[in-house]
Formats: sequence, C-alpha cells, structure tokens
Amino acid sequence: MASTRDGGPLTPAVLHILLVLSTQDRHGYGIMKQVESDSRGKVKMGPGTLYGSIRRMTEAGLIRESDKKIDPNLDDERRVYYGITALGQQTLAAELQRYRQVVAVAHERSLIPKAMGI
Amino acid sequence: MDAQTRYRRWYRRLLGLYPRPYRERFADSMEQTFTDLCRERTATEGRGQGAFILWIFTETFAGIIRERATDLARLTMVRNATNVFRIVKYLALATGGLMVAATATVMVLARGTGEDITGVVAPALLLTLLSAVAAVVAAILQGTSDRRRPPGSSPAWK
Repeated sequence: MASTRDGGPLTPAVLHILLVLSTQDRHGYGIMKQVESDSRGKVKMGPGTLYGSIRRMTEAGLIRESDKKIDPNLDDERRVYYGITALGQQTLAAELQRYRQVVAVAHERSLIPKAMGI
Repeated sequence: MDAQTRYRRWYRRLLGLYPRPYRERFADSMEQTFTDLCRERTATEGRGQGAFILWIFTETFAGIIRERATDLARLTMVRNATNVFRIVKYLALATGGLMVAATATVMVLARGTGEDITGVVAPALLLTLLSAVAAVVAAILQGTSDRRRPPGSSPAWK
C-alpha cells in the first residue's frame, strides 16, 4: 500500500476511506456504506478488505481509532469510530492533486469526452 | 436458531483464523459489521442472502490469507524459521479444512438435483490433498527447526 504523502498512488480502498473520513469520524459499517454511496456503488468493500485497510492505515498514521460510541441509527452496541489524522489529510490532498494533474493532462490531449462533464 | 444467528456464529469461527493480534483488535468490530450487513440485506432484499453470505465469507477468507501472508513476511524478515513453519502448517490445515467444508456443502446442495459436480469436487479434493501434504511437511520442518534452537530460547510470539 502506498501510504505516505510522497509515496505512489493510493489503492482505491485507501483513497475512498480517507475521503469518507475527511468529513467526519465513522465506524466500520458507516465507512463501508459511505464508500459505496460516494462511488455510486462501484466500490464495494467487504469486512476483510475494510479492516485490513484500516489496520495498515492506522499503522501508517493516516487514521486513528477514536472512542467507542453508540450509533443512534443502528442499535445500542458500542462501536469503534475511526478518524483521519493530519498526515491522512496531507496524503489525501497530495493524492487529489495528483488526480488533478492527470485530469489536466487528459484535458490537454482532449481525451475526456464532453458528455462526461468533467 | 435462526439463519442470521447461525451465519454470525460461523462468521465468528472464521474470524478465529486471523492472527491473534489482529483478531483481538478487529474481530468484534468485524462481527458487528457482518451483522449490520446481514440486517440490511434482509431488510432490503429478503432473498438471495446465500450468495451474499458466500461473498462475505470468501472476501473475509481472502483477508485472512493476506494478513497471514503479511505475518509470514514479517517473520521471514526476522528469520524465525520455527514460527514460519508453524504458520504454514496452520494455513495449510485451514485451507484443507475449508476445502472439505466446501466440498461437503456442494455435495449437500447438489443432492437430488442430478447436477454433475465432478468439476468442482475434484479440484477441491486435490487442493485438500496438497494442503495435507504441506501441513505434514511444515510440521516436520517445524520440529527439526525447534530441535536446532538453542536451549532456553522461546518462540518470538510468546
């Protein structure tokens, strides 16, 4: 996994998790559902991929575990929430900048169909 | 016992195959997530849960292999051969067990339908056999490596 600010591209799972956590802390199931929604159903993560990514991302310092809380929308079980760190924010910003550059190159070469509206 | 409780119990057993540190940290959350997914699936679709459960189990099993492989790579880096062989042994046993369970499931599901399941069962049995051989070889190598270790030294993960 490319996980540092100066490293290579992030995996789709890591990028989507960072995107989801950039706005608010969430628990595992919440992350999974928001990733699915953000990607319009194109990225579906199971628990194996999600928690494997969470482990690597916490080790890399991109996200952190916050306190256990109850999600009032689900049930009365306490859940571990995850939040993005400063390094995670920097990594996400660097990755989005990289995407912007790629899209700019694609624009220069007229590779993006107008119908896509980018 | 309803189907969801039964699936949850199976899933908890599957999570037992993760390396201990990972399991202690994430197993409860993963089980919670699994329950949430099952609940959502039941509420929205009601049917077709079997394929969904199979996907979750397969996806989680792939995660287990990934985590075990990561552990293995770390152990190899510290050159602790005994632990490497021990992990290989358990991985091979887990794979063999899973293949036996999968074969039994396919046979039960196919019973009475008249479908030819040879194409599925034969590779599974072959993989079971290979897993058993790998487990025996790893156990022998683990024993050999254990005897070579200096007296008084303890395995790295204890």
